[in-house]
Amino acid sequence: MCEKKHLYASALAIGALLAFGMGGVMAESFYREYVPRVDIDPAKGVEGDIQFSGTLQYWKDEKALEKHKGWIGDHANEWKLNRKFMDLDRIPFHEGHLALEEGEALVKSLGKEEPGFKTCLGEGKSELKGAATKYPKYDDKLGRIMTIESRVEYCAKATLRREMKQGSPTNNAITMYVKAQSTGLPLQVDIQSKPVMEAYRRGENLFYMRVGQLNNACASCHTPQGIMGHKLRGEVPTSPFGDAAAFPAYRFPLAQIESLQQRFDICSRQSRIKPLKPGDPAYVDLEVFLTVLSNGYPITVPAAR
Amino acid sequence: MENRFLRRTGLLLMSVLVSACQAPVHKEQPAGQAARAADAEPFSSWPCMSYTEACGKIPTRAPVKKELAGPLNGNPARGKAIVQDRSKGNCLACHVMKDGVQPGSRGPDLGKYGTWQRSDAETYALVYDMRSRNRDALMPPFGTNDILGDQEIRDVVAYLQSSR
Repeated sequence: MCEKKHLYASALAIGALLAFGMGGVMAESFYREYVPRVDIDPAKGVEGDIQFSGTLQYWKDEKALEKHKGWIGDHANEWKLNRKFMDLDRIPFHEGHLALEEGEALVKSLGKEEPGFKTCLGEGKSELKGAATKYPKYDDKLGRIMTIESRVEYCAKATLRREMKQGSPTNNAITMYVKAQSTGLPLQVDIQSKPVMEAYRRGENLFYMRVGQLNNACASCHTPQGIMGHKLRGEVPTSPFGDAAAFPAYRFPLAQIESLQQRFDICSRQSRIKPLKPGDPAYVDLEVFLTVLSNGYPITVPAAR
Repeated sequence: MENRFLRRTGLLLMSVLVSACQAPVHKEQPAGQAARAADAEPFSSWPCMSYTEACGKIPTRAPVKKELAGPLNGNPARGKAIVQDRSKGNCLACHVMKDGVQPGSRGPDLGKYGTWQRSDAETYALVYDMRSRNRDALMPPFGTNDILGDQEIRDVVAYLQSSR
């Protein structure tokens, strides 16, 4: 009984500290557990991985990947490549490339039907090069954080009067096309933006929050004190840094394209957590958090996972 | 293979439709969800990440120090099956277990647990809820969160005690 009280008290104390330190993230008024936090400096972007998993040196660029390609298929070491050897044309042709072509064809044909569609995607500009590097971003006019997927959904509705739900194959294909216009360019989510940083802090909170029947957090697997780098039956969980640069990605186990938020959905089901719909505010916050952890890393769409 | 073929055909068909006749983009299920329509609301009785749905306000079940009632009466053979079953204990996800293949490596090696001289009561309590010893334990609270029932935990304990 005494132990229980102690736990409640410490959860409340931790919650209070979080709320104090995070300005805006409210502590729950009920018992909720968190995985111990790792100190991450959002200003460092992907470089934050140096103090986190220490694997960035092996996947930071082509040279590093080339040097360590002998680790592919070697269970003890492969996780250190953070799956980056599956990006772009580093592995043989896969259907991610087809989806990208499909996205291009869609933007072209829909643009013919309604030129406003493409301009809407580029927020007034028809040139999309570099645009994806700034997502997720706060949209003043709409008053909310936009991901590329929610931009596609919004523009389809506003200019074409069509539903292109986030997570649908059409939305994923167009999102891949928009993102691929920035392939090779480093992600630059604007951490000077107050709403973006508020979303980052909420997303960070969710990353460490234990949920579901198994009482797991994202951090249970994807932090150094968690399962990262250890075998989880047939898999070895990797660093969360750099991941957002590769999504939407072609997923071999599913034989389809998967957006980052669909990854949250499927991971949730595997961890017996109620999945949320793509575009859910909690998933948007998680995406902001994870994408800031990829800041400075070049976009690598199309990629396979 | 068939799936990939269908998907490829689907992609081709879709681009033909869209470019040739500007057919409206049909209403689609989000990828991967069609096949899972049956479990539309899975796990909604457990804490979730939502800010708005009820599950977002379900408290975490607090750690429980569970006492083993009466003699163990566990069946090691059933325990072994539970340990290996991904929908049950799936202890192999993190532990080396006796006679288990492709084990995980995060948790301690339990292959010779029976030689550790731990009591049934202690073992039962830890499988029931490891947080009763270490509040930051990664291990799911199998009893507290109804992942395994009382008899199933007894079977797992019997299996562990027989592992040597």
